[in-house]
Amino acid sequence: MEPTKNQLLWMYDAMAKARYYEDTMAKAYMEGKSPKFDIGAGPVPGEMHLSAGQEPCAAGVCVHLRFDDTVTATHRPHHVAIAKGVDLNKMTAEIYGKRSGLAGGRGGHMHLFDPAVNFACSGIIGESAGPATGAGLAAKLQGTDAVAVAYLGEGAANQGAFHEALNLASLWQLPVIFVIEDNAWGISVPKSKSTAVPDNSVRAQGYNMPGVHVADNDTLKVFEAAGEAVERARRGDGPTLIEVQTYRYYGHFQGDPEVYRPKDEVAHLKARDPIDRLRKHMIDQAGVTEAEADEALSQAQAEVDAAFEFARQSDDPAPEDALEHVFA
Amino acid sequence: MADIRVPNDLWNADETPEGVVANWLYRDGSEVGAGDTVAEIMVEKATMEIAAPAAGRLTITVPKDGVVRPGTVIGRIDES
Amino acid sequence: MPNNRVLTGSRAMVEAIAQEMRADPKVFVMGEDVGPYGGIFSSTTGLLDEFGEERVRDTPISETAFIGAGVGAAMAGMRPIVELMFVDFFGVCMDAIYNLAAKNTYFSGGNCKVPMVLMTATGGGYNDAGQHSQTLHATFAHLPGMKVVAPSNAYDAKGLMTSAIRDDSPVLYMFHKGLQGLAWMAAPEEASTEVPEDAYSIPFGEAKVVREGRDVTIVAISMTVHHARAAAEALAAEGVDAEVIDLRSLVPLDREAVLKSVRKTGRLVVADEDYRNFGLTAEVIASVVETDPGLLRSPPRRVAFPDIPIPYSRPMEQFALPDADKIRAAVQQTLGKAAA
Repeated sequence: MEPTKNQLLWMYDAMAKARYYEDTMAKAYMEGKSPKFDIGAGPVPGEMHLSAGQEPCAAGVCVHLRFDDTVTATHRPHHVAIAKGVDLNKMTAEIYGKRSGLAGGRGGHMHLFDPAVNFACSGIIGESAGPATGAGLAAKLQGTDAVAVAYLGEGAANQGAFHEALNLASLWQLPVIFVIEDNAWGISVPKSKSTAVPDNSVRAQGYNMPGVHVADNDTLKVFEAAGEAVERARRGDGPTLIEVQTYRYYGHFQGDPEVYRPKDEVAHLKARDPIDRLRKHMIDQAGVTEAEADEALSQAQAEVDAAFEFARQSDDPAPEDALEHVFA
Repeated sequence: MADIRVPNDLWNADETPEGVVANWLYRDGSEVGAGDTVAEIMVEKATMEIAAPAAGRLTITVPKDGVVRPGTVIGRIDES
Repeated sequence: MPNNRVLTGSRAMVEAIAQEMRADPKVFVMGEDVGPYGGIFSSTTGLLDEFGEERVRDTPISETAFIGAGVGAAMAGMRPIVELMFVDFFGVCMDAIYNLAAKNTYFSGGNCKVPMVLMTATGGGYNDAGQHSQTLHATFAHLPGMKVVAPSNAYDAKGLMTSAIRDDSPVLYMFHKGLQGLAWMAAPEEASTEVPEDAYSIPFGEAKVVREGRDVTIVAISMTVHHARAAAEALAAEGVDAEVIDLRSLVPLDREAVLKSVRKTGRLVVADEDYRNFGLTAEVIASVVETDPGLLRSPPRRVAFPDIPIPYSRPMEQFALPDADKIRAAVQQTLGKAAA
C-alpha cells in the first residue's frame, strides 16, 4: 500500500506541525521555571510529556481515519491530537489552563477531549485500551463501519488493562486497532528490563489477532500497517495490534534529568529524523517539489504560532468554574 | 577556612548558565564532618550533592534558592 | 558537638528504609523507577547503590502483579516495601491491597501475616490535574485491615517509616509530594526538620499537639498541618489562640487526643486535603459528637477539597485546595464571627 501524493503531504503537514508544536511547547513550558525549576510555576505548570520524534505513529495511522473514527491516547498526546484534527487553538488554550480551552482549563495536557473529532486521552497507563474497545463496540451496535484506535506505550503493554482489552476486542471481533508506540523507555526503565518479549506484536497471537511490528520509526511502513488494519476493521474482520519502534527526543517529562539515558542517544536519533526522511521521500519519489514542502511546513508553523498566541491572549477561568461540569 | 565551592565541572554551564541552592542539610553554625553531604544544587531539574571539603563549623553564605554558577562559593568551613 | 542536621522528607524516609534494610535482609524494595532513578519523588535515592538489584527492584508497569507479589512475598517471610508511584494509580491494583493485603490475616484467623509497606505519593497544588493530584486518605482508611499513616515532616517521616517496616500488618505509608523537600517542588519550610542519625520509631495511633491553645482545636494531617500552623499564627495576631493537632496516623486514629483537646477548647475545625464527603474530616467530627455533642460550643467546621475532580488550571485548583486562609475563616465561624 503506497500513499498518494496528497496523503504524503497530509502526513508531512501533521508531522511537521506536531514537531514544531512540541518544540514551541518545550520553550513555553520553561517560562517562569528558570533559574529555579519549580514545577508549579509559569504559564504552563505541572507535568509536560512531549512527543517529538514519535510523529510517524500519529500521522501514519490518522491519515486513514475519518472524523467519526475514535482515537484514545496517552499522557503524551499532542502529536496524536494534532493528527486527529483536534482544534489546535482550544487544545493549546486548554494546556495553558484558559477558559477558552477544550475543558475550560479543567483537564490540562493529559486530559484532552474533543468530541467533534472523537479524540480523548488519559493520564493512567493502559486506560486508553478499554474505551477504544468500547468505541468499537458502539460502532458495531450502531451498524457503522467506524473504527477505533488506542495508543499505548510499550510500558502499557505490561498493564492488565491492555491484555483484557485485546482479549475482549478479539473475542467480540471489534473494529479496534491497538498501536503501541515503543519509545524504548518507561520513564527510566528500558524495555529489556520491563518486558518478557522483545517485540510486543508477538503478543497478538495470544489474543488471536494479527500483530505487526514496524521498525525504525518508518512513516511509510506505519502507513502500510495501519492502512491494512483499518481496512480489516472496517470490513468487520476484527482488531489488529501494531507495535512501532519509535523514539522520543525529549525526556519522559520536561525537566527529566534523564540520568538513565546514554548521552549521545538523542544525537544519533536526530540523524535519522523521520520528518527529514519523509520529506526526502516525497521529493525524490512522489513528485513533491521543495517549494510545495516548504509551503506545507510554513503553513503548519503558522497554525501553531496562531494557536499559541490564541492561548496566551485568552482569559483565565474564574476560580468558581472549578465547581461546574462535575455531572451532566 | 575551607570554601564550599560549586565544582567547576558540576554541569555544562554553556547549556545552562545558572542553578540554585536547593537545600542546605545543616543549619548555619553546625559542626560538620569532612565528606558529609551539606547541600543540594539543582540545575534545571537535576539535583546534585555538595560535600563538606573539611570538618569544622559551617557558615552558609548562599542560602536556599540562591542562584549559583560553577565555581560559586556557597559556604565556608572553619576548621579551627 | 552540636550537629544540626536538617533532612528533607525524602531523605528522612530513605534513611529509615536504608537502616532497616541493613538490619534485616528480609526487607526489600520494589516499584516503578525505584532503581537508578531513585523514585520519582526521591523515595529510594541511593538505595540501589548500597543494596543492589536483587533488593531494589524496578518493576514493569504492572501494579496488580507486583503489589500482589508483594503480598505473596510478605506471606512467605519477606518484608517488602512496595511503591505505588502516585496514589491515584490505586484503581488498577486495588484488589491486591484491600482484598488481599488487608484481609489475609483475618481470613487466616491470624495464622498468616502480611508485613508489607505500601508507600505512595499523594497531594496536589502544582497543577498535575485530576489523575495525579489526589490525596485519598479516606479511601484506604475506610477499608478494614490496613494501617494508614501520613507524616507532615521529616522527623515523623523517618520514625513512621521505621515503624511501618517493623509492623507485621500491612501499612499504607502516604507521603505528600509537597512535603518531600524536592528541589523542584515548593515545600513548607517546616517540612524539613532536624532528624537524629540513629534509627528510631514513632508508634502509630499517637497524634501530636504541634501548637497548644485554648480557644479552638484544629485537627490536621499531612500538608494541612502546615496550613493549620500558618492559620494559628495569623489567628494569634487577632487574639485567637488555636491548638493544632497533627494526627500522623489515620488507622489507628488517636480519637482520645482530639477529645482531650475539644474538652479544653469546645471548638473544632478539621482540615484535610482529601475530598470532603465521606472522609477523614467527617470521621473526626463523628468521633467527638458520638462521645458527647455537648463538648462543642458551636458547630464544627470542615476544610477539605470540594467534591469535584481536581482541576488543572491554577486559579481553579487554588480555589479548591485547603489553605491557611480557609482554615482561619473556618475558625472564625466557630467563634461566631463572619469570615473576614
